Amino acid sequence: MDTDRRDALLRAMLDELAHRGYEEMSVERASEVAGITAGEFAAEYRDKDECLFAAYDRLTEAMVEKASVGCDSDEPWPERIRSGLERLLEEVAAQPLMAEVLTRAFPGIRPAAYERYVALLGRFVPFMHEGRDYSEVDEELPGEVELLAVGAAEAIIFGEVDAGRAERLPRMMPEILFSVLVPFMGPDRAADEMRSAAAAT
Amino acid sequence: MLSVSDRDRILEAMADCCAEEGYRATTVDSVLERAGVERESFEALFAGKEDCALAALNKILSETLARIATIDPRSESPNERRVREVETILQLLAMRASFARLGSIEARQAGTPRMRECYEAAVRVLALMMERAGPGAPGGGSSVTARAALGGAEALVRRELAIGGASNLPKLLPDFVYAALVPFVGQREALRQARLAARVAEEG
Repeated sequence: MDTDRRDALLRAMLDELAHRGYEEMSVERASEVAGITAGEFAAEYRDKDECLFAAYDRLTEAMVEKASVGCDSDEPWPERIRSGLERLLEEVAAQPLMAEVLTRAFPGIRPAAYERYVALLGRFVPFMHEGRDYSEVDEELPGEVELLAVGAAEAIIFGEVDAGRAERLPRMMPEILFSVLVPFMGPDRAADEMRSAAAAT
Repeated sequence: MLSVSDRDRILEAMADCCAEEGYRATTVDSVLERAGVERESFEALFAGKEDCALAALNKILSETLARIATIDPRSESPNERRVREVETILQLLAMRASFARLGSIEARQAGTPRMRECYEAAVRVLALMMERAGPGAPGGGSSVTARAALGGAEALVRRELAIGGASNLPKLLPDFVYAALVPFVGQREALRQARLAARVAEEG
């Protein structure tokens, strides 16, 4: 199976999951959409789950990639977080159905699937480490402050996606930015960043 | 005549089944088998699987609120009291890991709309508790601020529950206290409270 056809299959699997739910989704239909025969499917994947988990990994990889491109510059850390967050929110807003798969349809399948979601959140933690240099106090910040920042953004994104309002997320960027930065920089400086982000958009 | 313990055994089994298999894959049969209870008893108590899961969610919710209500309000500052509240919640979640998972993960990510409503109602109460902590954040006092701060704490809870380390939760008390306070009172004061919380966590 070449890369393009595999991509088409994985995409079709996620579409099936999004439109029909886990119990009702069909490997046959997804394969047909992607032009994959049963034999080709069986040569690559043990079963529906193995293929679906691979599809989810590919989707999350793309999300992390989008955000990290935004974070990859010589700008100071708060600016990089802002542009990474901006890209992430635009991506989520542009693909509400995939956002739903990302946050609920897949993680809700069973505990093993949920662990992938926890791992996805963990992927954003390294982007946060540098924020510790921006603390206004000398004392070391709590050990889990990176995940606290990631979880703050996740809660807002999840809530909007779940309520069918993913398109509002790009406009909420400044407020979400505040909540991501505040554990590292404190409320006053995080609010400055929020205001400058609001002025720029 | 049904004893109270039949109901409790069923709710416990529901939470445990969901923790192992997830809410979706859990069946009434698997709950009955685990609880060692006859189907008639189940049917006399619950309309079905969702009804039973909702009862389990209500159980953990009311237990949490009852525990918070027993914290002695005298001789403690509002901040100390908040630390006690967070500590109480964490201890309960650690002790009732299956119920905690049902409430914070399954209801949110896999549950029916009614289960999600239950989760959201609990979260709204907690977010309001957090907003009381300060005179309003420079973030504009938006409801997003408290919700996001709670989201950070939730991410920590879910990670611990998902990787099977619920017993570790009480040790993370300082991180939770910091998360709840920092948007409202600033880093210095949030860290000071986190230090106090670390002492509380050590005392157990």
